[in-house]
Amino acid sequence: MTAQSPDLLERIIGVPPNSPLSRLRALRPDIVRHTQGSHDVLLCPADPGGLPLQERALIAARVAEASGHVALTRHYRQLLAERGDPPQSRRLDAILQHADRVATAPRTAQPAHIEALRAVGLSARDIVALTQVVAFVSYQVRAAVGLALLAEGHAA
Amino acid sequence: MKATRFTLEAVDWAPWLEPVNPETATPAQRAALEASPQANSAYFRTLANDVDSLAERSPLFHAVMYVPRGLRRAERELATVVTSIVNGCIYCSSVHARRFVELTKQPEIIRALYEEGLDTPLEPRLRAIVDYAAKLTREPAEVTAADLAPLRAVGMDDLEIHDLTNAVAMFANANRLMQTLGEPVLPDNAALRPDA
Repeated sequence: MTAQSPDLLERIIGVPPNSPLSRLRALRPDIVRHTQGSHDVLLCPADPGGLPLQERALIAARVAEASGHVALTRHYRQLLAERGDPPQSRRLDAILQHADRVATAPRTAQPAHIEALRAVGLSARDIVALTQVVAFVSYQVRAAVGLALLAEGHAA
Repeated sequence: MKATRFTLEAVDWAPWLEPVNPETATPAQRAALEASPQANSAYFRTLANDVDSLAERSPLFHAVMYVPRGLRRAERELATVVTSIVNGCIYCSSVHARRFVELTKQPEIIRALYEEGLDTPLEPRLRAIVDYAAKLTREPAEVTAADLAPLRAVGMDDLEIHDLTNAVAMFANANRLMQTLGEPVLPDNAALRPDA
């Protein structure tokens, strides 16, 4: 059994420590550090403000799912299962509607959509955090796809 | 006035929620803004509302776009322009198209992409970059090892492909923030705004 990397992307793809791909990533240490760092402050913040940890996990799972990334969807569903489903509410509906739009149709965004989030009680910080979670998972999905293809090349 | 077309001209960006005021920013917000490409821009001041994510994102963005060796800077810029065209992000495409032109002196490549679309004839290396960037942006789950073959065929090594992937991924992120927290505006209008 190979040791598990503490890095989420490497765990998702199954990159063993000291493998050629792990060494390739190590050539870009700031990318490795701040990709994981972004994940940590968005999905596991010490102070989640008005966007609770359960909701963050649910948003991430939906974005991964909408992007068609099986392993990341499984990962965030697991995180959500550990944290529990957030209670249904008008507030949550508005959050998920926004998350889906940012993930799949960002060009259709309008100022009224921000107002809809304010109307259910989100602060400027919460709205930015929500949008950052969606934007981060959109990044993470594509980074994971590219890394997995390079890993396949090494295995071949 | 809202900018509605891809352009090589400079475009401004107007937020839909209040940016952090530098005068009243917390020390952490000030530090995160200082570490961002433009501390005073409305965009980074908007992101500073959630300071911890900005503090991680700015060094990530910097590493993806500017870290030395690997994929040429101009080619990273091109990849981000393609991603921005596919997503419809007028602001990002303007900024990074101009960076590409500064580095290559080839505005005609950008004009062809804007006016004729991503299928416009290109030399093989640029063709391979454009195709990979567009597919990874549009349908990441459909990208397979076969999509790396054209990149390999023009001589790209693993590090260059890794850099290209990260540039595209970073703009999946940047475009979404830019497009959903504010809008691109034409500079004439921007000049009338007090914080332009």
